[in-house]
Amino acid sequence: MSTATPANFVIPTEPGRGPVLLGSRCRSCGTVVFPRMPVCPRCLRNGTMEETELGRTGRLYSHTIAHFAPQGFIAPFFQVFVDLPEGPRIFSLVGAEVPVGPGVLEDRMEMRLVVEPVAATPENKDRLTYKYVPVKSASSKSLPAESAARARRDR
Amino acid sequence: MREVAIIGVGAHPTGKFTDKPLKALAYSAIWGALDDSGVTPAELDVAYVGNSLGGLLTGQEGVRGQVVLQHSGISGIPVINVENACASAATALRGAWLEVASGAAEVALAVGVEKMFVGDSARTIGALSAVSELDLAEMGMQFTTSYAIHPKINLKAKMDDYGWTIADFAKPAVKNSYNGTLNPLAQHRRALTIEEVVQSRVVVEPLTLYMCASISDGAAAAVLCPADMASRFTAKTPIRIASCILQSGVYRLPGDARADSATTSARAAYEQAGIGPEDLDAIELHDAMAPAELMLYERLGLCAPGDGPKLIDDGVTTLRGRLPVNPSGGLCSRGHPVGATGLLQIAELVWQMRGEAGARQIEQRPKVAMAQNQGGLLLGQDSAAYGVTILKR
Repeated sequence: MSTATPANFVIPTEPGRGPVLLGSRCRSCGTVVFPRMPVCPRCLRNGTMEETELGRTGRLYSHTIAHFAPQGFIAPFFQVFVDLPEGPRIFSLVGAEVPVGPGVLEDRMEMRLVVEPVAATPENKDRLTYKYVPVKSASSKSLPAESAARARRDR
Repeated sequence: MREVAIIGVGAHPTGKFTDKPLKALAYSAIWGALDDSGVTPAELDVAYVGNSLGGLLTGQEGVRGQVVLQHSGISGIPVINVENACASAATALRGAWLEVASGAAEVALAVGVEKMFVGDSARTIGALSAVSELDLAEMGMQFTTSYAIHPKINLKAKMDDYGWTIADFAKPAVKNSYNGTLNPLAQHRRALTIEEVVQSRVVVEPLTLYMCASISDGAAAAVLCPADMASRFTAKTPIRIASCILQSGVYRLPGDARADSATTSARAAYEQAGIGPEDLDAIELHDAMAPAELMLYERLGLCAPGDGPKLIDDGVTTLRGRLPVNPSGGLCSRGHPVGATGLLQIAELVWQMRGEAGARQIEQRPKVAMAQNQGGLLLGQDSAAYGVTILKR
């Protein structure tokens, strides 16, 4: 199925490397955005953005369960925002392996990137997208200090 | 720029009108406004027609403005088709206002029309998703979600940050449902209780069904001319446009310290009108999800952060309060035919300011009133369009 938006993630071919998102980083002011943009939204310069990999991990900013689904989706399903250690706060779905229900997700929990079909529906079963799932290991509850500072929750 | 007045408004009732296409809905609103103003089609110099979903939902992808206007006997003049999601009608009004204010036109028509009942609600919900940037729409982002957890408002987080309860979320829906019972144009005319709203089905946690504006058909229109020409057409009180602001969302990164766009667009409107929030006598605002009204209170400068529920508890924003908000019933009760909403708000305020609002008439006929309309969703954590209009008599 075709899509109007270009792929915004890659699955590296090297063994042992998981999927990663593709964003843009401004050479001038360091701003990182996702998905990619040709012009930096902070310093508004053209020609300073270069492609950057990001989002292997993140921290849950907010989450909800949608009980009604638009065409191509199956309710109930999680919808979340994730703070990436590189800077962006992005909308995401949650991996199908995660059971949908209360108490399963908790804001600020650590997440990791997966790539899978958008939804198990005729419209979306052949379309791959990025999603996040909780990092299970209790020992990985905190991100490295620098990343944690940037991912700190602010609303 | 010269001063512009609204000299006539009209509206088609909101609700489900299965057998009425876009042009039939628009016809009622257009001729309602023409008859109200005393203006004839031949006297119109220009028309702006707002509509959002008609391409996807009716198949009439192009020239919807010319189609609905010709059906109503208006042709030959410049027609500008306007799409700005749920703020399409506020954007159409701004276009008409600029035409007259600049002197390019003497008499301008603004129309907003939407046809959402097409026999397949999944298709309608899909079309609504498409007024979010595609990157979000393709991931299943819905407006309900954007109000529930999106960084631009994140109502769910307000339960922690402000201590708001689910009952607080229900309060605007309850208040506005009462106003809706008094409005013959309203889609939903049953007074709701806190319990009913809280216990209705969960749509997107923590939002329940009665907190969400529903699918709706409807239309509204306004006729504008220079304020000093109003008496040539009508003996009715001209309602002057003191400010008409349109802003687009801005790309926000986490930690962005700038004021949110609902706040900045309201501030710009106050500044252009030379007034402050304390001068307002009535407001129609964009409560697509009822609890958003609580956030808009603080963003429009009506209360301190977190104090929204208190304005309802204290009766300030009820129909008989000091500053009635959504006397029409708002988006949840009056109805939210998305491309018509901004002008439905204007029509309500004009009727209120003239003293023509019937059973829902605000006792102290408002002298100054605000309409606040917004729509769309962009990557970068903001809505796409914000329209704020301040009216004076």
